[in-house]
Amino acid sequence: MELSNILSGTCVYDFVRGPLVWISFIIFILGTIFQVFRLLSLTRVEETVKLKSGPGSFLPKRSEKEKTDWGLRARLSIFGVNPFLIVVTTLFHVLLVIMPIFVLGHNILLDNAFGISLFAFPEKTADVLTQIVIICAMIFLYRRLFVDRVKAITDWKDYLFLLLAAAPFITGYFAFHQTFSEHYRLIITLHILSGELMLMAIPFTKFIHMFYLVIIRLTVKSEYSLGQGDRVW
Amino acid sequence: MFRKKNTAGVDSDAIREILDEKKTKMKLSLKACAHCTLCAESCFLFMGRDKDPKYMPSYKFINSIGVLYKNKGNVDKLDLGEIRDIVWERCVLCTRCYCPMGIDIPEMIALARRVCRSQGVYPRYDQE
Repeated sequence: MELSNILSGTCVYDFVRGPLVWISFIIFILGTIFQVFRLLSLTRVEETVKLKSGPGSFLPKRSEKEKTDWGLRARLSIFGVNPFLIVVTTLFHVLLVIMPIFVLGHNILLDNAFGISLFAFPEKTADVLTQIVIICAMIFLYRRLFVDRVKAITDWKDYLFLLLAAAPFITGYFAFHQTFSEHYRLIITLHILSGELMLMAIPFTKFIHMFYLVIIRLTVKSEYSLGQGDRVW
Repeated sequence: MFRKKNTAGVDSDAIREILDEKKTKMKLSLKACAHCTLCAESCFLFMGRDKDPKYMPSYKFINSIGVLYKNKGNVDKLDLGEIRDIVWERCVLCTRCYCPMGIDIPEMIALARRVCRSQGVYPRYDQE
């Protein structure tokens, strides 16, 4: 029996849209709680000692212009160093998180199951946004394959996780457009399965950078911290 | 790639002891690195060496402390020599490296230095 036949079989289809949904959400939520506490336990709160400046001011003060001029602030940040990649990565990551929540099909499923639904993007918008995510993923793939500095630190896991992140969008795109209509059951099974695998992988694999970024950049004091962190490693 | 290791003169247990002290933080940090290379331009040595990827902060910690954790401390003098070149010759611990995730790169380099030093592998400026 071919793999595609097994995957589109009723048994597998029922499993991925039934119990595996619950299993993946439970693993994701418990794993997230565990890793968030683990990260927080690695850091501790430290009181900031405010030093008073002595006679004469040696420390250059941030000018008012630097505080309020957002264009200047952007140029001084990582955006100024690599604007193209920052736009691509921001689009990719923001859409990766919000798309599954606000896509119409998912909200219909929510409505069928629990009688609740959230705001949903119009189908045309969701389609365009999906294409943007796929293009961003392709830009990442191009960097991994052809840009020297990225190639130097790329291993097989980077390709695997890029594929895992992009797979729900690629299969979702095919399912929406009925591209392989004769294999629709297979495509939708792969769509659900890849989404669930990704969800389960988030707390325990490279995807952990999602929590790492939020917790460490927001709470730990450092030159590049975002906000008023009062923790130290 | 897979050469036979000659671990003579290396105390792997002592290395493991040092690695275990910071295991959780280091392993999480190595895992959190998305290999995005946004750290590259923050390293003045990278900028000064014609943007050679070998000077990228992420390249430096992956190939030093990353190798030590990957091999669980089972490294030989040749490995340690390579790590020494990375953590002393290609990094001055200026601590200005930027990481979008907030990974504490200087501490990783410093820990790799500590491991090397514990095995008597460090630059001898008086002899070289």
